[in-house]
Amino acid sequence: MITGAWLCLFSPLAGTVLITLAGGRISRRTAAWISTLSVFVAFAGALWSFFGLEAKSNRSGYLDTAWTWLQGGSFKVGLSIFVDPLSTMMMLIVAGVGALIVLYSIGYMEGDDEERRYFAYMSLFVFSMLLLVEGGNLLLLLAGWGLVGLSSYLLIGFWHERPTAVAAAKKAFVMNAVGDTTMALAFFVLILHSGSLEFGNVFDTATTLSPTAVNLVALGLLGGAAAKSAQIPLHTWLPDAMEGPTPVSALIHAATMVTAGVYLIARTHPIFEQARTVELVAAGMGALTLLVAGLIALVQTDIKRVIAYSTMSQIGYMFLGAGVGAYAGGMFHLMTHAFFKALLFMAAGVIIHALAGEQDIRKMRGIGTLMPWTKWAFLAGALALVGLPPFSGFFSKDAIIAAALHDHWYGVILALAGLAGAFLTGLYTFRLYFIVFPGSPSAFVREHHHAHEGREGPRTMLVPVGILGVLAVAGGWIQFSPFWHPVTTWLEPAARTLGVAEPTNTQEAIASIAAVLLGLAGVGVAYALYGRSEPVAVRVPASVRRALEHKLYFDEAYDALFYRPAAALADWLRSDFEEPVVLASGSDLGETALDIGRGTGRLQTGLLRTYVFFLGTGMAIVAVVFLIVK
Amino acid sequence: MLLGPGIAWYLGIAAFLFGIGALGVLVRRNPLIVLLSLEIMLNGGNLALIAFARHAGNGAGQIFALAVMAVAASEVCVGLGLVVAINRRRLALDVDELSELRG
Repeated sequence: MITGAWLCLFSPLAGTVLITLAGGRISRRTAAWISTLSVFVAFAGALWSFFGLEAKSNRSGYLDTAWTWLQGGSFKVGLSIFVDPLSTMMMLIVAGVGALIVLYSIGYMEGDDEERRYFAYMSLFVFSMLLLVEGGNLLLLLAGWGLVGLSSYLLIGFWHERPTAVAAAKKAFVMNAVGDTTMALAFFVLILHSGSLEFGNVFDTATTLSPTAVNLVALGLLGGAAAKSAQIPLHTWLPDAMEGPTPVSALIHAATMVTAGVYLIARTHPIFEQARTVELVAAGMGALTLLVAGLIALVQTDIKRVIAYSTMSQIGYMFLGAGVGAYAGGMFHLMTHAFFKALLFMAAGVIIHALAGEQDIRKMRGIGTLMPWTKWAFLAGALALVGLPPFSGFFSKDAIIAAALHDHWYGVILALAGLAGAFLTGLYTFRLYFIVFPGSPSAFVREHHHAHEGREGPRTMLVPVGILGVLAVAGGWIQFSPFWHPVTTWLEPAARTLGVAEPTNTQEAIASIAAVLLGLAGVGVAYALYGRSEPVAVRVPASVRRALEHKLYFDEAYDALFYRPAAALADWLRSDFEEPVVLASGSDLGETALDIGRGTGRLQTGLLRTYVFFLGTGMAIVAVVFLIVK
Repeated sequence: MLLGPGIAWYLGIAAFLFGIGALGVLVRRNPLIVLLSLEIMLNGGNLALIAFARHAGNGAGQIFALAVMAVAASEVCVGLGLVVAINRRRLALDVDELSELRG
């Protein structure tokens, strides 16, 4: 079991190292297969540890330490991994979906100049995420956390000749660094109070901490989670991250990175439960994000950006679930979301690939007739995203809304937000679907579409899409609360659902019926507006449309609040301090030293008698002083 | 125990010799004369040392004077060697001309 987990962790790293060291000695295709294989081995390791853990009677978690990683005084951190139901579930999702995405990239990235670098980064990304979920203490978790940020930076900016990609990568890194900092600060508080970063010690200490301390820690963790999971107000990097290759977007959105925040809340839930206010802030943050992202998605015209905003919105649901205490609900939605979101991105990637890089949905109209299989796959993903039965999203999303409904009056508000989000999801998803797929192909599509050897894309791309299509359709049947709920049972030793978040059957029914009806209403409205051959002109006040197209001015606000004052301060410091004081003082020092040198150099006459004269005079003065003092 | 004139006389003559020597070093430009004047200064110092030795009634000052003579002899060796080297290069025998170390 433990061996499987170690294998799972280090196999992708080995892939990265191998590709890096081999460099130009291996072909691009070999590098691609090394990377794919390493992640599939990781998935095998994850399965190994999953079945190993399943066979045990005690599933509260197994800690395995390879060696002491660093030590300072009584503070000690081991290089250790923690295998418990929560981490094995994440390992399966990360390695499983990740492996399919890396396999898909083989077809997608074929012919790119720097394929080897790409695949080394992909393996590194999966390794970082696995380190994050398997790390046996909070410091290793933070190490994985930072590595995930680094790999996302490298991959978002993979096409480094595009200035927009470089800017997007930088943005993602900076936004994430904000979260990393708040998390590190929370860890400092924890070390101060418990002297350790081991999960067990920290969670034991959490119950004895003062309310201020525990709230600070929870807020710090929440800041990290919000940055990584792109929740308002630290969400602005996610849409820009679409500058990376499409499989990277799929990896960031489905398997790695954005799910880390939900995992963090579930993992550190003993701390959050001591700070219920902060936990509810997380839930409220999720509710706000799911609404805002849903609204912005309505006006986007880039196929990947629409899907990106839908990710933000779905992660909002997960935060909502984890925030009200339904950790299993959040994790279950994380799993189904990984399936259908990877599917949506990959289907979009197949279209982009077939249209030679075009991402504007207005030009894609009617592509469905040329690519029927992609159309069906996308439709399956879309239905799962909207949460219509029997697709996977139905089971997980409704469970979250139901859990919120059970949690006092604010829970009802959160549930209403979730239901409104369900309507928006139906609307924006099927707006995308109706604009892109049905109808006769547009002139642009007829001109640019090219089939790949008679198929809709390379086989390495179609196979993962097919597998994920099946998972997106059927993956939700694993858990159908209130009838059967193995995911909740499985996660019980690691993250037991709070009592307040265990809905009654009535609440489950209300949530399901309302969410399905609202989702259908969203689809219906989308059909009415975009389903005809001629889209209906929607009358929206220009200001609202403009605000949504500018993503509610978050970028502009951050620009005015942080960037411009900082740039102005830097300019002022340069012109009024750096140049006159720092730079000028350097040359002043030199000038002064030269002057002193020239002055004293004049004493050095080269004439013997002046030396003797000074010597004699000096001796006479010393003698006189000596006599007087005596 | 000191016979004859008192110690002040000896010291007076010693100071006089030292003064003549110092003056010679300062004003003369021929290196040979400068070396000569240096010898006079050293001997003025020796006279004072010996006078003190007699005055104190022990031999320490005399030993010291002998050491000064040895130093003076080696110094003259080096000094005259330099004078010969200067002459060989057909440079002017004038200490004011030898001012290449001017800063």
